[in-house]
Order: sequence, then structure tokens, then C-alpha cells
Amino acid sequence: MSDYLVKELMVPLSEYATVPEGSTLFDAVLELEKAQEEFDHTKYKHRGVLILDKNKRIIGKLGQLDVLRALEPKNEELSDVDQLGQFGFSSNFIRNVRKQLRLQATPLKGLCSKAAKLKVEDFMQAPSEGEYIDQEASLEIAVLQLVMGQHLSLLVTKGKKIVGILRLTDVFAAVFHTMKECEIIL
Amino acid sequence: MKELEKLLDRIIQRININLRELDYDVGPFIKNLVPLDQMVKFYAFYGITPHHPLDFVFRHSSLAGSYFLGKIRTRNSILYKSDIRGDELKHRGDVFHYQKFEIPVNRDEGIDIEDSFLVKTLVHNFSHDPETLEKFFINDTVAAHYANIHGSPSDGCFLGPFATVDLTTMRDCIIGAFSYVQAGEIGHLNVGPGTVWVRSPDDFNFLYHHSLPDLDPYINYGPGRPPQGLLIDFVRDRKEDFKRVFDVVKLDTPVMVPPNASLDRYAVIKPKIHISENVLVAERAYLQNAWLGKGANAQENCYIINSRLEGFNVTAHGAKIIEADLGKNIFVGFNSFLRGRARSRLNVGDECIIMPHTIIDIKKPLTIPPGHLVWGMITGSDDLSLNSMTLKDFSKIDGGRIHGNMSFEGRGARFVSAFRERIHHILEANGAFFNGRDRRGHAQKNQNISFNTIQPYTDGEFEGLFPTIIIQP
Repeated sequence: MSDYLVKELMVPLSEYATVPEGSTLFDAVLELEKAQEEFDHTKYKHRGVLILDKNKRIIGKLGQLDVLRALEPKNEELSDVDQLGQFGFSSNFIRNVRKQLRLQATPLKGLCSKAAKLKVEDFMQAPSEGEYIDQEASLEIAVLQLVMGQHLSLLVTKGKKIVGILRLTDVFAAVFHTMKECEIIL
Repeated sequence: MKELEKLLDRIIQRININLRELDYDVGPFIKNLVPLDQMVKFYAFYGITPHHPLDFVFRHSSLAGSYFLGKIRTRNSILYKSDIRGDELKHRGDVFHYQKFEIPVNRDEGIDIEDSFLVKTLVHNFSHDPETLEKFFINDTVAAHYANIHGSPSDGCFLGPFATVDLTTMRDCIIGAFSYVQAGEIGHLNVGPGTVWVRSPDDFNFLYHHSLPDLDPYINYGPGRPPQGLLIDFVRDRKEDFKRVFDVVKLDTPVMVPPNASLDRYAVIKPKIHISENVLVAERAYLQNAWLGKGANAQENCYIINSRLEGFNVTAHGAKIIEADLGKNIFVGFNSFLRGRARSRLNVGDECIIMPHTIIDIKKPLTIPPGHLVWGMITGSDDLSLNSMTLKDFSKIDGGRIHGNMSFEGRGARFVSAFRERIHHILEANGAFFNGRDRRGHAQKNQNISFNTIQPYTDGEFEGLFPTIIIQP
């Protein structure tokens, strides 16, 4: 398919937004903003922050969806809504209940100040087995892992060390570029 | 006793196999639920009437204090003070209507209990499962105190105390304490305590969750201990009254009973009782200073105390009505607990439907206006406005509605009419509309039942177990 290797497409770890374990959600958002300003590699901006433990090891990723999820009210009523599906209520009904409860809950402004006090580790996604990829792996393998695991990014390894992040957006750009090359040859 | 202990272990293992997907171990919940030495203390008994089949086969089972009527098989099971009432089973030649099918019933239906442990449980009605019309099975199932298995074949299930499963086939499910389920067919489901769920696919879906902190004082249950709470205390406080009716062989009827009404000899009758025409009082019902109007009924494990029911009232299995005045045509659902106070009575208007597993416990007088649907937990007028709706308004729902802790989806009119049809059917089956010639029901058919007793081994390896007993005409 192509000659691309993961190491050619990844964002080096040093250019990625990271925060230490124990940081607040607000710290993470600030760090992300900073990284986006400094990062000029492509028109696509960073969409996540990595969480490091005290030994600088990556223990999780915090994506945009995780931040929004953290902002959502967590009351008993909403957790009851999660159960409605198993009792045979339609997805349309459940969606409407969620909307209704969301409108009754605290406005977003109030939730943001609350969320700024929340700890990142409570909302981050710990990397799973299929989220690691060797830097020498080919584009094909990267595509396979992203598709199979439905990941937005993969952690790139060199030996036992994590050296970068392979983002879906960069992989897609590479695939797109390869497709265009095919077209020219045809 | 050795054999009985082995039997209990076998039942626990079988249920755990069924519930492995839900990662549930019933052992700690039921190991000491009933001390096994209780099993030798009580005889079992069965009813003989000309109106019901007499067909019992009991094998390798303990049946202490349990009652049987109709066509019943038990095998490898422990039944403690349970009522297995087969007076609504289908008969050979009946036709069962299900969706577009009209299915002929080929032989008399029987209740078949195998590898199960039922404690003070009521089994009644008939199998509503079109796939098993002639066999109302209860396999690999444990039901704790005052559970109701009503028209609900069950395989591999655990029912907590005061749980009710109604007209629903269930497989590999856990039904929490004080939960009510009427959903047609369920499988591999863990229904938490205090859930009230009534579903008819494509028609309606009603769901209410009792708040657990509010429910706890009434009923709570955990591993390693028997059920606790006000509902258990309430029943325990009246236990001695039942002892007398079970100990004495011949009891005089302490009250005037019209010839078309029925008062079971195993009901407790305290002073000041009035029984009108076509009234049905089932075994293990408890009446004290109660006025029952025409066609009213008090089903198994019901308590009606210092109360007046004007007539055509359904007081479903396990319901309790204390210090209350109920108008006509009122349905009080399974295991509901309605308690006024001597100086703060509860008034319920005509045509109200009190949903199963409703708790109304008031300290100030409360009136529920006529024609209301009531559910959940009500301790005063604020709760009433949150947990009730006029039947007229409920009938207008078309789509969905959230009302407090209650979620409803579907057609409210269909829900109300289904309930009304059901109430009418119950009254009909109970003989409330008997006119002296036609529309005979339980109130008329259950008169003049004679009872025989059977006994367990009282010593040795089989202590607590009953020998194989086959009873047929």
C-alpha cells in the first residue's frame, strides 16, 4: 500500500501536551491550548492530553470527549436513565429523557468551574493493549489497529519506551496521499 | 437432616450455575434463610374440592407448612410455608389465545417445581407462556419470604423477599427485594430492589424505582442475614395469631359468612368482621376490625385491619390495608402497604388503582380522590401529587412521560384499559359477580374445601424430608 512507517507520521512525545497525575481538568485544558499554539506541524490541532505518573510514564489519555463527559452532571437521575435501556425503553425515549434532565440540571457555566477542580485521572482513558504500536510498524498495521480498536490515536513505542503519538488524522492524511498517488499512476 | 442439607447445597449449586453470567452467588443469601430444623416442625396440607383436579406427586422434597391445591409435582425441592395454589390452572380442552394464535390445551396444566427453594412464597394463576401451556414450571429457583410467583414460569432465578413476578416467563434472572415485574418474558436480567416494572411490548412500558434509602426501613436484605424491616416486623408481630389456626384441627367460623362468600379456615379472623356477599377471604389472610363490602376479596398474605372496603375491591396477594377507608372498585396491587393512623386515616376514592408494591404510610390524614392511578412511596400530600395522576390524564399520554421517579412510554390509554380488564378478570375469577346461578368463582368454588395433612420424617437421615407421596382421586 505504501512505504510509510509509523515513526514518520507520529508526533514526538516532546511536542505533545502532557500533564502530571493529580492535575485538574482545567490544567489539562490549559496545557492543550499551549501545545496547540506551539505545534505547527499540520493544520490539524492536538485533540488530547497525555497523563504522566511521577516516573513520567503515560498512564492515560484525555480526549475532547472525555472533557465534555466530565462536564456532564452526574446525578442519580441521570444514572437511572442509563438503566432504562435494559427495561425495554426505546432509544428515542432515553434520548428525550436525557435532554429533559440536562436542561433541568446546572447550566454549563457553573459546571465548568466545578470541572476545573476535577482530577484528570478520574476521566482519562487508560491505554488498552491494542493502543501501542512499534515505531517501525507500517501504515497498514497502524490502520488495522485504529480501525479494530476504534481509537483516535495510538501510543508509539521504541523498545519499552513511548516515543510519540500516532494520530488518526495523520494516518488518514497519509492514506489519502497514497490514494492520490495511485490515481496519478492509473 | 443429612439428606436435607445435601438437597439445599444441590439447589444452591444449580441456581449459581444458572446465574453465573450475572456473577451471583445465592449461597450467602439463603444458607440461613430458614434453619433446616424448622422443616420437621410443620405438616404440609392439601385441599380437596369437587371443582379442582386432585393430582399431587411429591418426591424427595421438604414441604413444611406448605399448602397445595390442584395438580402439582415437586421434586428435589424445599418449600417452607408456601402456598402452591393451582385453582386457576388451564384445563384440557381450553383454548389459549396468544397474539394471532389459538392454541388448544391438550392436558390439564400442572405446577411443576424442581430443584427449588421457596420460602413463604405464593405460586398462583397459570402459565402465560405459549411455549409451555400445560406445564407451569419452577426450576432451579429460590424465592425468599413473601415472594409471589404469579403466572410466571421460572428457570434459574432468584427472587428477593416481597418480590413479585407476574405473568412473566423468566430465565436466569435476579429480582430484588420488593420488586414487581410484569413484562411477558425476561432473561439474564438483574432487577434491583424496589423496581416496579410493567411492560407490554409495543403498547406501554411503566417503570418506577423506589429510592433505596426510603425503602430500607421497610425491607432490606443482604447476604448472611434474613430479611429485615418494618414489613417483616409487621408480619412477625401477628405470627402467633396464625399459629392457632394451623394448630387446631376443627375451628368454628367466628363470623357470619353469606352462602355465596368464602372464608378460608386458614385465615385469621379477629373481632368485628363483616363479610358481605361474594366476598373471598383466602388462606393466610388476616382480618381485624374489617368491613368487606360485596365482591371484595382478601387474597393470600393480605392484612386488612381497622379498615372498611365498600365493595368490588381487589386486595391482591400480600397487600396490607391498615386504618383506611376504601371506596368501591379499588385495586390494591401485590404487596402494597397502605397504612393510615387511628386519628389520621387514609381515604381512597372509588375506582382508584394502587399499583403493585406501592407504600402509602401517612401520619396526617390523606385523601386520594376517585379515579387516580397511584404508585411509589407516599408519606403525605406532596408525595401524592408526585406519585399519582388521574386515570383520565394518564390515558392521554401518548409517547412518553417522566413523573418523579416514574418513567412511562407508550399509550397511557392502553395501560389503563389493560389494568381495568385485569381487575375485572380478577373479580370475575374470584366470584365477585356471582348472581346466584352464573359467574361462579373462587368465592363459591372454594367453599367446603376439606384439608388433609401430610408429615415429614422426624428423625434419621431423611429428617425434614417427606416420603414420596402420590395423591390422586
